[in-house]
Amino acid sequence: MRKLILLSFIIISAPALAACGASDADAPAKAVESYLTALVEKDGDRLPTLVCGDWEADALIELDSFQAVTARLDNLACSQTGTDGETALILCTGNIIATYNGEDQALDLSGRTFQVTQEGGEWLVCGTR
Amino acid sequence: MGLIQIGASILTALLVGALTRGTWRTYALLALSVLAVYWFQPVVPLRSFDFWLPSLSLALVVLVWFITSQISAWKSRINFIGLSIIIGLITLVDLTRYIFPQPFLTGTTPPQFIQFIVFVLIVSLAIFAFTYLSRNNVWLLSLATIFLLSILFILKSPTLSLQASIFFRSLANRPIENASALDLRWLGFSYIAFRLIHVLRDKQLGRLPELTLPEFATYVVFFPSLSAGPIDRAERFAGDLKKDFSLTQDETLLAGQRIIIGLFKKFVIADALALIALNDALAVQVHTTGWMWIHLYAYAFQIYFDFSGYTDIAIGIARLVGIKLPENFAAPYTKSNLTQFWSSWHITLTQWIRAYFFNPFNRWIRGYKSIPSWTMILIGQLATMLLIGLWHGITFNFILWGAWHGLGLFLQNRWSDLAKTRFNINNPRLQTAMQLGGVLLTFHFVALGWVFFALSEPSLSWQVLSVLSGVSR
Repeated sequence: MRKLILLSFIIISAPALAACGASDADAPAKAVESYLTALVEKDGDRLPTLVCGDWEADALIELDSFQAVTARLDNLACSQTGTDGETALILCTGNIIATYNGEDQALDLSGRTFQVTQEGGEWLVCGTR
Repeated sequence: MGLIQIGASILTALLVGALTRGTWRTYALLALSVLAVYWFQPVVPLRSFDFWLPSLSLALVVLVWFITSQISAWKSRINFIGLSIIIGLITLVDLTRYIFPQPFLTGTTPPQFIQFIVFVLIVSLAIFAFTYLSRNNVWLLSLATIFLLSILFILKSPTLSLQASIFFRSLANRPIENASALDLRWLGFSYIAFRLIHVLRDKQLGRLPELTLPEFATYVVFFPSLSAGPIDRAERFAGDLKKDFSLTQDETLLAGQRIIIGLFKKFVIADALALIALNDALAVQVHTTGWMWIHLYAYAFQIYFDFSGYTDIAIGIARLVGIKLPENFAAPYTKSNLTQFWSSWHITLTQWIRAYFFNPFNRWIRGYKSIPSWTMILIGQLATMLLIGLWHGITFNFILWGAWHGLGLFLQNRWSDLAKTRFNINNPRLQTAMQLGGVLLTFHFVALGWVFFALSEPSLSWQVLSVLSGVSR
């Protein structure tokens, strides 16, 4: 019994300790990557959980624009380039490849900077520049 | 459940069946079922709800166990281990947000650990308060039942679901314009609630046997029957768990056969029929009587093969771990009258409704001596079938579907009584012809009832019925 309790304690506390020590420096960039992944997967349920309230309607409009095409991400890599107050500015490289009627069209992601803000402890995409 | 989840369930059930014995099997099934509650939960547009909804399911399970079990049972080793498994695994699921770069087990990233701790504290306080009060107040069992029914009522009502979504969105500062009644898709709650209500009611009636927490929790959230039933009985399920079980070759073959039949029914027949089965779009587009009947037949068989296929899969997987889940279907479309149909369609739901609503309701209404017996039968059948309709969703169409079957059962009851006294058919050929006619008539009555079930609006149903009857084109 004591061994079981000890084992349970270790199982629970190890990730908890890891959680305390974990760095979330790249969390804003990951938030953008998750957002773009949900976008090309046309996941209308997941997408609203990845954006801030103010930008939810815009995000869903962007999602709608992909409904008629098959989309995938190509060489996606995002990183933080700076901050603007409490907003993290994220730049991505790579493309969204949108396929319509067998024809590929590459949408360059480096053309816009994503604004990411923290809400309730979560980094959420909150617009582009 | 998708194919990946079914495949993983088969594999883990095989491992549990082959490698575990006795109490360890119960612990293993409990652990797998707790994890499945999270894994099977679909993503919803409200942030972290795909974590909170399964967590609430498990909190309700623990709460109901505490208020229905003896105080002396709380300190037992097996219950302590069971509680540790549940809390430990929920904690681990939440901590996956810090371990894996992408969500693992849940569809989206679980909430922050501090939010989870607050949730655990609130749930612990609620369980403590409820359990403490329930020792001297039996009505708290009724209150718990009403609470479960209220949640079910909200989830099944599109209007209330929408209001609930707006409420949660307002709390989280999200735009309410995007709220939808489908935002609160709580996987398996209809089944979880009915299992919990069965336990609460049996406790009130003094016929609930003592169950350990691992037995009880595994019964309520047993992973093969989590999303689509069947609705087993707690004491029967616990009996299977207590039996000494070892997975033999014969058992594996029988289970495998059942799973393959289920997969074929669901993913080959039902999914193929779904392409031409009656739906809202076809109801508007099709104007030919013949084609409309084809779409209706396709729907009738699609819903049967879909649901019974899932049931076969659940029964097969459960068999791999030594649990013999009850049957839910017994060739319903071959029955010669509506009463027989309802004894062979979604059997476990019908039995549940009969045990906890129809029989008590009938006993109650028989107290009114002034009501004629035919009126009692009509009220009883209508109320029962309306309840079954409402269980599927609180919409006009499900009410119409329930009323259709309630009236059908009443008419069939009256006809049976009349036929017994007026007709005495001894000719075997005539008996066969009557039997066959009964099967065809029952099938078509049920099929016409699906017109209400399959469509979202009464106006669409009337339109389809008029095309089917040749009145409108």
